[in-house]
Amino acid sequence: MSTPRPPANAPRGPRRWLHHLGIRRVPPETSATWEIEHHLSELVDRLVAEGMQPADAEREATRRFGDRARYVPTMRRLARRQLTRERLMYTWDAVRQSVTSVARTARRYPGYTAGVVITLGLGLGANATMYGIVDRLLLQPPKHIVQPERVRRVFLTRPHPVTGMTTSQDEFTPPDYEDLEAQRTMSVAGYDAGGFSIVGAGAGATQAGTLRASAEYFPLLGVRPHMGRFFSDEEVTPGPPTAAVLSYEFWRRAFGADPDILGRVIEVADDRVPVIGVLPQGFTGVDLRPIDMVLPLFTNFEGDEECLRSRGCYFIHIVARLNDGVGVVTAQAEATRLHQNGRRDQVEAGRWPPEASITLSPLRTARAGPELSAESRVAAWLMGVSVVVLLIACMNVANLLFARMTRQRRELAVRLALGVSRRRLVSHAVLESTLLALTGGVVALGIARWGGQIVRTTLLPDVSFPDSAVGLRVIVFTLMVAVLAGLSAGFGPALQGSRVDIGADLTASGRGSTAKRSRTRDLLTAGQAALSVVLLVGAGLFTRSLSELWGIDLGLDTDRIVVADLEFVGGGLDVASRRDVYALAARRVAQLPGVEAVAGTASPFQTGLAISLRVPELDSLPRFPTLGPYLFAVTPGYFETAGLAITRGRPFAESDGPDRSPVALVSETMARAVWPGQDPIGRCLMVGNGPERCTTVVGVAEDAARNGFTDGAYMGYYLPVAQAVSVQPMGQSIGAPHALYIRGTDPEAIAAAVTPILRTLTPEVRWARVWPMRDSLAGQARSWTLGATMFVAFGLLAVSLAAIGLYAILAFEVAQRTRELGIRVALGAQRARLLRGVLYRGGQVGAAGILAGLVVSYAVAPLAQDLLFEVSPRDPRVLSGVALLLATVSVAASIIPALRATRVDPVTAIRSD
Amino acid sequence: MKQPLGVVQGTLELLILRTLATAAPMHGFAILDWIRDTTDDVLIVEDGALYPALRRMEARGWLESDWGVSEKGRRARYYELTPAGRKALAEQAAKWERYVSAMAKLARTKA
Repeated sequence: MSTPRPPANAPRGPRRWLHHLGIRRVPPETSATWEIEHHLSELVDRLVAEGMQPADAEREATRRFGDRARYVPTMRRLARRQLTRERLMYTWDAVRQSVTSVARTARRYPGYTAGVVITLGLGLGANATMYGIVDRLLLQPPKHIVQPERVRRVFLTRPHPVTGMTTSQDEFTPPDYEDLEAQRTMSVAGYDAGGFSIVGAGAGATQAGTLRASAEYFPLLGVRPHMGRFFSDEEVTPGPPTAAVLSYEFWRRAFGADPDILGRVIEVADDRVPVIGVLPQGFTGVDLRPIDMVLPLFTNFEGDEECLRSRGCYFIHIVARLNDGVGVVTAQAEATRLHQNGRRDQVEAGRWPPEASITLSPLRTARAGPELSAESRVAAWLMGVSVVVLLIACMNVANLLFARMTRQRRELAVRLALGVSRRRLVSHAVLESTLLALTGGVVALGIARWGGQIVRTTLLPDVSFPDSAVGLRVIVFTLMVAVLAGLSAGFGPALQGSRVDIGADLTASGRGSTAKRSRTRDLLTAGQAALSVVLLVGAGLFTRSLSELWGIDLGLDTDRIVVADLEFVGGGLDVASRRDVYALAARRVAQLPGVEAVAGTASPFQTGLAISLRVPELDSLPRFPTLGPYLFAVTPGYFETAGLAITRGRPFAESDGPDRSPVALVSETMARAVWPGQDPIGRCLMVGNGPERCTTVVGVAEDAARNGFTDGAYMGYYLPVAQAVSVQPMGQSIGAPHALYIRGTDPEAIAAAVTPILRTLTPEVRWARVWPMRDSLAGQARSWTLGATMFVAFGLLAVSLAAIGLYAILAFEVAQRTRELGIRVALGAQRARLLRGVLYRGGQVGAAGILAGLVVSYAVAPLAQDLLFEVSPRDPRVLSGVALLLATVSVAASIIPALRATRVDPVTAIRSD
Repeated sequence: MKQPLGVVQGTLELLILRTLATAAPMHGFAILDWIRDTTDDVLIVEDGALYPALRRMEARGWLESDWGVSEKGRRARYYELTPAGRKALAEQAAKWERYVSAMAKLARTKA
């Protein structure tokens, strides 16, 4: 018997790997059957040769083989295991080869490698930065809340008393809150979010952002203290605070992480309060604003207990946790019923709308109302924008890879000829680009660490970010996107590379007398230009919104005013002392260099006072959607300090004292509304519910903003503080200022100089808060500032990438055509003609991109309309400006390659490879 | 039945390793032929038992296999030794020699 020889075509050596990939791989199920069949047929052959009948031979062979049913499953199982092992080994082998190859490429073409890594790094960096922000604003619930999906914010929804439009508010009165405590479908907790307390005294005093919470607040959220405990029911009662809970951050910052803080008594304004607990790190309640300290709800209402019983004093925010198995609709219905019951008397008297209802909205973070806040919506847009930036980066890289594949055609053809499968070539190229992208991802994390920090501190200062800008989620996200980017950028070029024609590309000298223009590359370049146009249009629209916003005439010269607010020992001063202290403060401050004027106001910016007002000749005053009219009690220098022009009559004078006849100024809007077409000077106002006495209008002042940019027209009038002692809205006399306005050209410097003087002014002053008025507006401009800044940053990044892309493709083409250009020069072509040719190419691609970009912008921009301010999403100035910018950039990017084309030396060019 | 099966299996593996070490890639039928020739048919009861053993050894990394065409023009699976297989052969052979000489001593010892 002869020993069987291996057949000539049995795969051996390196080609074995290819078989594992190719169609010759036999599935484990079939391979066992095939192998057994082969055995049986060999045996039958032999038995027949030995003289057996074929039928008998088959029976005998089967008998000799034994229990086939027992062997086959084992064989299949083992075969499957073997297959998995081979695949793993193949993958590992491919990864190893690609790593080596990338390293080799990086050494041989450092510029190309750096280009790819940096381009992807920038694109991925934009994404990592934005993801870190969006994750906090939109994706993650606030920290330390158990089962956040069952927690709801509670809103009071009712028709606006004047306009009838449905509005939602998140502030409730104490009785309205108590109504909801009877709820059975959910539990509720109240808190009061805004506010500062002064902790400590004298030089060691510090300001602490303070939340006031009901006893149910912490248990409802499910938060566990870092140490100590939270409030008991007895501790949450009206009166001075009986217990304080510190935030982890404040405990470390102000108390040096004192381990014996529990039980330590701290000074909070005039009260001595024991610390009972410390919150876990990063706790911000259901909002995202940092918290320093939590006091019991209802504390510090001395002198204003009326408010706790009134259905007109809105300050409590409510969170709710739905009971298990209760739907939102059921809970809302019950809450609305309880609310309507509580206000039944008012509803029956027609003083409360029967449509008023309770709305529950999920704890999606950073919500300003039931809707997403403008910042969050802008951030979501910016996330999209960063994806577009990445898309541009990927297109750019794809272009580079295409160019490289073209340059490598001969090498690839050789490899194909040597028997490397096309599939292997593709997977190798894709792996390579993925590895480069991962390296870019690491670069991106560096960018995000730096960029994320800047965005957080400068653009979103009101949001607490407990985690580092590059947390685990950001890392995972970035690397995942990096892989995706690598795959998508590498796949097209790889596929093209694998389509190399062995015959043509191997025999072609590789000199490529003329390079074919690649339609794909042109498309990719034009696509980049188009996308940058879209981003730049966004940048333009947001920038215009921002400048429109700051361009609004607020009346007040907000850029030149510093506001100073004094807080007094003992819960406040009587009117006379308060007036004296503010007068002293004004005198001191006026002496500082740079201070142009100082005045006091009892109704500083962003507070609104409205009391009853009558005009004898009218049955009722005109009603405005902004309600009102609003009352401002000010000192004589107020109009000059605030920058409000007196359009008729006169401002207040020092002589308008308490014993002189009462005078008032009215705003232009009020003058027009109350006395249309008539002269308001000398008219009579009946202020408040006191004795019937005329306050004579002596002047008209320019309209002034009351809260910020979008107040809407409102009626306002001014009284001199000296004559307003008896006017006591909300129990507080406005006969003395509550704040100083200080006018000067450099508010920051003035604020810095004024603060120490005011804090040590007299022993009665516990604390002074001093801030440029513009800071009070910055919060309102935040979404536009965020949008404008980031859109501009991303837009410029995008246009730079696109410019580099255009430059690279033209430079590459010129390099490829060196021989052709050389020949043309040798044949007497004019260099100017060559220059024009390249510029024309650049212009063509650029123009196509600009056109496509404008079309897309025209279609997409209106979607962002409600995020813009007073700017049409199709603003022609923005569109044309962007088009012009892009056109300039494309020409600039084409110039260097174009010049290079004209400098081709015919002799070297024709000889060159 | 359990104990002898272990011995038989180990024996079979050693025989396969030895067979493949002496010749170029072979398919299962040829391997079996070779073993039968060398051992005078005494060790293998059923033909089928060979195949799971081959697969197991392949999964262990001792053998490599691929499809080829036999001299009769049939589709056949060819096996050959890997370097790991050669090492395994040396170890198994040494183990068997120790086992066999121990058994031989025991057999010669009178009770």
